[in-house]
Amino acid sequence: MKLSTLKNIQFEEMATLLHVKGREQLLEKFCSLGLPDKKSEAYRYFDVEKLFESDYTVTPALPGAIGIGKKVVIIDGVVSTAPKGLRIYYKECESADMEHFDPMYFLGHLLSPVIIKIEVDGDAELEIEHHFTKSNSLVPYRIVLHNQANRHATIYESFIADDIENTLVLYGYDMHVAQDSTLRVVKMHSMPDSRYAMIASHKVNVAKQANALIKSFDLGGGQALQLMKIELDTYAHVDAAHLLYLNKDSKRGTVSQMIHKGEHSTSKQEAKNILDGKARGIFDALIKVEHSAKYSKAEQNSKAILLHKEAYMAAKPQLEIYIDELEASHGATTGQLSEKQLFYLQSRGISYTEARKILVIAFANTLIETVKDTRQQEQIKAAFEEVFYTTHQRG
Amino acid sequence: MSTNSIMTIENLQAKIGDKEILKGLNLQLEAGKVHAIMGPNGAGKSTLSKTLVGHYDVTVTGGDIFYKGKSIKEMEAEERALEGIFLSFQHPVEIPGVNNAYFLRSALNAKRKHEGKEELNAAEFLRLMRGHLEMLGMKSDMISRSLNEGFSGGEKKRNEILQMLILEPEVIILDEIDSGLDIDALRAVSEGINKMKDGKRSFLVITHYSRILDYIKPDYIHVLKDGRIIKTAGPELVAQLEEHGYDTIEEE
Repeated sequence: MKLSTLKNIQFEEMATLLHVKGREQLLEKFCSLGLPDKKSEAYRYFDVEKLFESDYTVTPALPGAIGIGKKVVIIDGVVSTAPKGLRIYYKECESADMEHFDPMYFLGHLLSPVIIKIEVDGDAELEIEHHFTKSNSLVPYRIVLHNQANRHATIYESFIADDIENTLVLYGYDMHVAQDSTLRVVKMHSMPDSRYAMIASHKVNVAKQANALIKSFDLGGGQALQLMKIELDTYAHVDAAHLLYLNKDSKRGTVSQMIHKGEHSTSKQEAKNILDGKARGIFDALIKVEHSAKYSKAEQNSKAILLHKEAYMAAKPQLEIYIDELEASHGATTGQLSEKQLFYLQSRGISYTEARKILVIAFANTLIETVKDTRQQEQIKAAFEEVFYTTHQRG
Repeated sequence: MSTNSIMTIENLQAKIGDKEILKGLNLQLEAGKVHAIMGPNGAGKSTLSKTLVGHYDVTVTGGDIFYKGKSIKEMEAEERALEGIFLSFQHPVEIPGVNNAYFLRSALNAKRKHEGKEELNAAEFLRLMRGHLEMLGMKSDMISRSLNEGFSGGEKKRNEILQMLILEPEVIILDEIDSGLDIDALRAVSEGINKMKDGKRSFLVITHYSRILDYIKPDYIHVLKDGRIIKTAGPELVAQLEEHGYDTIEEE
């Protein structure tokens, strides 16, 4: 199946092709937004059309028995193992956000007649490992995640791919962060090369007085875009941080909408981008403060370092504000490593390459060190160094 | 060249941007001696220190620098450092996110590797640090903070001296090490410097004021004016400079 064919066919034909019986509303929404192309604002820097021209075998996630394991392992969209006692099961999607800005959110739902539902009980830490094994495949799946009110849960998410090629992963979460709870999500997505591409389209609801801490570490090459719509209720807080370290001709990044709906809601979104080779980083982020969200605070910042003259950062911070009673700020900077700092390190006998590595890691460290679990933190640092040394000679 | 010279600077000419600053500077640093360079503002003192360590701002347009008999004019900054040339910066740069201890250990291990020695692990390194920190009156948390970030002027200078103590260089250039230091800090920093005196290392102390020279006794005073050394004498020259200023000094 070529996704580009969805551009030129009628509703009925598409309904048959995607087997959407009973989910026509989703299809209507998808059709009204249309398959993204280079003119679509959210996909402008991503070369999405190329991905849609490939002929994929659609691999529907067929639910099977779930084995017991230390972590949740999802192979090609199918849950293989999960920790004992975790409430994880398949079911039809009950609700999708019909106002989501991303057409691929709806396509993901349409291609996933059943979703993976995870209910995290109590104060828990959970690892979710996504595994991809098939070449030339379209792998669609969606996860609905709930945590418990008044509890603190942490999710560590990682991705592994076999030696595959030309696969497109189309996945995403619908997360529901319960009232008075804290949900931490740490995504570590290191792609050594272009084995597969990914479009991850998420929706996060943050209930009253809840905290959502969303950290994404996107490292390496390949093509991947995460699109997220986050909605904040009264006194809800979101702390989102995105670290991007790309090399070669990678195109990756974040497109987000942070929507303040409740009074006194607060959000902080920080992106740090390091771009090497011919890589292109994307940070297209909107903060929207609605009439109902008086006394909100919103802060957004993107910083980029270009390590190569052909690297490029597409940073587009935006504010859309409908009230006066709030505090909001946003900004974006792009620059290079400081010559003064480099020289200082070199003047102590540290080689040029190592000095660059130290400064690049220093730039990233303020985000990496917010990951409390030291093992996870070390893994991110190791992946980070690995990416560095694919393009720079060890000193 | 004196047989006891560790560094010889011959007819050195250098510019920053289009501005010619060093205009045929000659100087010999003797092994085991403390050389002080004094001179008015804009004479080229800081440019000299930058030139000696291969700073990117400076273009050498003529002359040469010999270190242990070998020209270092074309050497990269890190090579010069590994060979034993150290500059204590007038304004040490702040590097947020780089842990001070990690930086110091990286620098030390780069040097040990260069010398064919085994690298130190974190525990060995911390043991080495402890005594130095105490002597310099530095709190132990300073090495777990980001490099120079939020350090006071005095703390930055102490941190420079800490690096010097750890790296054990052979030519030590101190660019206005006394600026911004109170009496206690000056004493601690001087003590660190004096500890390094072993009859083999050379010091090049660049200063505006004689105060530091009460603590680090110089063997030679050189007056740098308009890009050249115009006079070299013993420590007694300091008193003359204090009394009459630089204008009365005639080129030798």
